[in-house]
Amino acid sequence: MNEAHASVGVLLISHVGIASAIQSVATRMLGPLPLQHEILEVAFDADLDQLSRQVDQLLRRLDRGSGVLILTDLYGASPSNLAERFDRGRVHTRRVSGLNLSMFMRVMNYAEQSLDELVNTAVLGARGGVVIGRA
Amino acid sequence: MLEREVTVINKLGLHARASSKLVQLLSTFRANAFLLGRGREVNAKSIMGVMLLAAAQGSTLTLRIDGEDEVAAMEAAVALFERYFDEGS
Repeated sequence: MNEAHASVGVLLISHVGIASAIQSVATRMLGPLPLQHEILEVAFDADLDQLSRQVDQLLRRLDRGSGVLILTDLYGASPSNLAERFDRGRVHTRRVSGLNLSMFMRVMNYAEQSLDELVNTAVLGARGGVVIGRA
Repeated sequence: MLEREVTVINKLGLHARASSKLVQLLSTFRANAFLLGRGREVNAKSIMGVMLLAAAQGSTLTLRIDGEDEVAAMEAAVALFERYFDEGS
C-alpha cells in the first residue's frame, strides 16, 4: 500500500450491455465508487478507428499520473483488441480481460492500490468469484 | 486482539450490500479484522472475502479484530450486525 500516488483510473471496455450493467449493480451495492471510471461499450458493427479516438480521450480524462486500468470482457474480442492498441500509448495502461462483477467490486475495494497492484487484485477478484456450489 | 461471536440476524444474511457496509465500516479503522465461519477465515475488510462466507440469517460467526483501535472497531461492527445492517429486519 502506498499513500503517495494519485488514484488509478479505471476504464471498462465491453460488448454492449455488459460494462454498464456491472457498473450499475456495483454502484447499488457499494454506493459511490471510489475510483474514477468510465465505460465504453463496443457494438458489433463499430468502427474501431473511430472508437480509438474515444478511448484516447477517455484515457487522458482518467489519468492523474498513476495510469489507467482497462478491464475488458472477453480476451481476443474487439473490446480487448481495441484496448491493446493503447498498450504503449501516452497514458500508462494495464489490461485485464474476463471482466465480471466480482472483479470490478474487488478493484473498487482496493482503491488505494497502484496500477500494478490493481492488476493482481482484479485477477484474484474475478477468479475468486468462481465457486462450485457452496464455498 | 479481541474476539466476539456475532449472529447474522437480518433476513437477507451477509449478502452483497450488507457485506459492503461491514467492509466499509471496518475499513475506517486501522485494526485488522477477520471473520471466521464454517472453518473458513476471511479478511473482513475484503468484500469478496466476506461474501465467500455466504452467511445466511441465523449463522454465527466469530469476529476477530486486532490493532490499536480494536475496541472501537469491534463495538461499531457488532452494532451493525445488531441493527440488521440498517435493513429494518
